[in-house]
Amino acid sequence: MLIKAKNLSIAYKNQFVIRDSSFSVNEGDFVFLTGISGSGKTTLIKSIYGELKPYGLLQIGPYDMSKISKSKLTKLRRHMGIVFQDYKLIPEWNILKNVMLPLFIKGFDKKEAEKKAIEILKKVKLSHKIDKFPRELSGGEQQRAAIARAIIHNPAIILADEPISGLDEYSASLVMELFIMANKMGIAVIIASHSLPTDFNIKYRHFHIEKGKVYELS
Amino acid sequence: MSYLKSHVTLILALSSILLTIFLFTIFNKILKLYEKNIVNNYSLVIVSTSKIENLNYEEIDSIKQIDISKQIEKMKQEYKNIDFSKIDLPYFYKLKLKKFPSPSELQIITQKLKNKPFIKRILTHSSSQEKIYNLLMLLKTITKTSMIITSILGFLLIIKQLEVWKLLHSERMYIMELFGAPFWLKGAALFKIAIIDSIFAILITLTIIYFITHSIIFSHLIQSLNISLEINYLQIFSYLFIISFSISLISSIIVVMSKK
Repeated sequence: MLIKAKNLSIAYKNQFVIRDSSFSVNEGDFVFLTGISGSGKTTLIKSIYGELKPYGLLQIGPYDMSKISKSKLTKLRRHMGIVFQDYKLIPEWNILKNVMLPLFIKGFDKKEAEKKAIEILKKVKLSHKIDKFPRELSGGEQQRAAIARAIIHNPAIILADEPISGLDEYSASLVMELFIMANKMGIAVIIASHSLPTDFNIKYRHFHIEKGKVYELS
Repeated sequence: MSYLKSHVTLILALSSILLTIFLFTIFNKILKLYEKNIVNNYSLVIVSTSKIENLNYEEIDSIKQIDISKQIEKMKQEYKNIDFSKIDLPYFYKLKLKKFPSPSELQIITQKLKNKPFIKRILTHSSSQEKIYNLLMLLKTITKTSMIITSILGFLLIIKQLEVWKLLHSERMYIMELFGAPFWLKGAALFKIAIIDSIFAILITLTIIYFITHSIIFSHLIQSLNISLEINYLQIFSYLFIISFSISLISSIIVVMSKK
């Protein structure tokens, strides 16, 4: 089991947003996490990557997130890929260097990291933009670069917070294709989104947050 | 432009701190040498009714009898009607002190000497001694005050620089942290800036130091004080290097460690 939550509560700005929820996510799962704005999707995602401390049990791999130390959290994050609505690419780095970041962190040498980054940028159809800076790319392209960065180091899980919000239909479908590709590589994917995509033809699980509770819908 | 500005601010702050530390050290050295010079030239004269071999006071470095035979001979020539052999002439001694005394220290020494019944007179040249002492103290205070003021200004500039760094680098460091970057990698760009700026600050300071110490005014000052000042540039470089790198690396570590 990759993620195990039992009686999980998470507070944000001194208010409990997630209350007494239990769920689990397995290796290779594709999960959609839906709910209205302010329901706690981002709070839950943040708690999974260790930005917010949970109450109750939230176990990611071997780590209990309520007690995890800073050094262990740093190690855990090396097995995660995070995708944000606002992409969070490093503005002063070009796309190639941005995508290489997780490999630098894992200690790859520059040549090897560059080779892998070029390969993955080909897969996300950005091989012609490797020298460009994030500000020179469209929203959809930046999000594809962010996904390339999230999968390059073969993480156990990808956490995506509203990854297609603000993208046009074509870019959104391209981005979703990339998540599917990552999932086919064996990476578990959790996507927080307002709603489920209309045409989605792979097996997925659907978690819904309502009134602070996380429910799994069949 | 802001990148260049941020470099200039740190280099300026570091250079001013380094230069202040150097000037403080060199002025202190000059003052110490000058003080030593004064101590060497300064002595108390005591008149004693008996011979003195030794005076066991911690303040006294040496005691030396003053040879007055020439003066006696002169007096014998002048006052032929006086039989000097019948007069019990006193002994004159020159007392050298271990350090240049403050007026109050001089008073204590005088009092101690006065307590000896065989010491009849003590010449301290107290008024000129006090003037020199006060001048020395004034110079020391001015040097210390200017060092403190310049250092505070330098550190204020560095604090301002830390705020700029936080703004410029916090986003990148946060993203790196999300992907599990270790401390050194998160701060790599800052550490690089810190090292480059330190090197520039050291070079600038060393150039200024070289021009100051090779200026005509400086050599005139050293000559007029009658001291020989040796400047070890390698030693200066080493301690400026350590100070500069410590300040800039500590500053960048503070930025990396402070949460977004």
